[in-house]
Amino acid sequence: MTQEEPYTREDTKKLFRRLQETGDPEIRAALVQLHLPLVEYLARRFKDRGEPLDDLIQVGSVGLLKAIDRFDLDRGVEFSTYATPTIVGELKRYFRDKGWAVRVPRRLQELSLRMNKIVSQRTQELGRSPTVSELAQAAEVTEEEVLEALESGQAYSTTSLDAPSNDDEDAPQRVERMGENDAAIENLEYFASLAPLIEQLPERERQILYLRFFKGMTQSKIAEEVGISQMHVSRLLSRILSFLREGMEPDESEA
Amino acid sequence: MTTVTGEPSTSQSVEMRVPPTAGHLSLLRTVVGGCAGREDFTLDQVDDLRMAVDEAAVQLLRHVAGDAIELTVTSDEDALEIRVGAETKASQPVIDRESFSWTILQALADELDVDALEGRTTVVMRKKRLPDLQAEDPT
Repeated sequence: MTQEEPYTREDTKKLFRRLQETGDPEIRAALVQLHLPLVEYLARRFKDRGEPLDDLIQVGSVGLLKAIDRFDLDRGVEFSTYATPTIVGELKRYFRDKGWAVRVPRRLQELSLRMNKIVSQRTQELGRSPTVSELAQAAEVTEEEVLEALESGQAYSTTSLDAPSNDDEDAPQRVERMGENDAAIENLEYFASLAPLIEQLPERERQILYLRFFKGMTQSKIAEEVGISQMHVSRLLSRILSFLREGMEPDESEA
Repeated sequence: MTTVTGEPSTSQSVEMRVPPTAGHLSLLRTVVGGCAGREDFTLDQVDDLRMAVDEAAVQLLRHVAGDAIELTVTSDEDALEIRVGAETKASQPVIDRESFSWTILQALADELDVDALEGRTTVVMRKKRLPDLQAEDPT
């Protein structure tokens, strides 16, 4: 954004008016930018519940998007007044949906991290994705424990969408494959309602989405292609799907 | 040859009913992941199925009319079959074949079908076992 001066409520109104007239995704993006501080402020109120602030901001942003899409200028309410309950609602829902899975015992967190490495090793050795029993053997734990660890790895998906997860620190970040990304966008834009959401995804997530659902590549193959672990691909895919789902949610006519 | 008692000879299934709320979806995922994992599916396949059951259930939730979402996981010699169903409002199809959901489910399952009959919708997904796990089979 080139604007330096603090934005005013008038600016917000102008942007909404233009958005209503043109439907321009860039204006929508500008409105998101303008109100991120509000999301951050609200997300902070939930930060002592054991979830990273980045994740909460991301969840709150989904609420913000919904609010932007549903906001009606003519109702004469300030946007921030209108958006606050939607954003808070989204955050509350996030905690409710996570249920008991929020707290993962340390033992499981450790096994989950160890599993990540073992999965990569075994995938390399076998030339395909390993089974649970193969993982149990390699890790010298029971199948139950493997399942638990995988499950917790999923439930405890604290990595934010575009942040490299701490377990892949040394993985190469090679996502510059412009050709494929163009194809991804073309394919995905077939679903018109998705286009504005997909534009908000970081490059890498777009690529993963495309490779899995349009090229039919397996998670292991994508992991190799993108240079991150299979478990990370799995987490990212789940998150991408729920992000798209939330953003696409039909208007539910709450108004 | 040793035969373990209780070893499946033909097919066997696990069934479950959960209240139709978003908070219960994780239970469905867990059960599907647990079944597929114990059935010696690969990690890629296990994850695909977990994601698939989640997607199917989310779509059902939007149209649910009854008090439960029902899951049946059946394993037979060559595949695992997941059925996720609920009583649904009649108005429109739960998963349109033109939708993004359909695309996702199709990529995740080897076979996909949606049965909509008399106010019930059931998403049926099958994931095939790898032909021979011992073989060094790339991709």
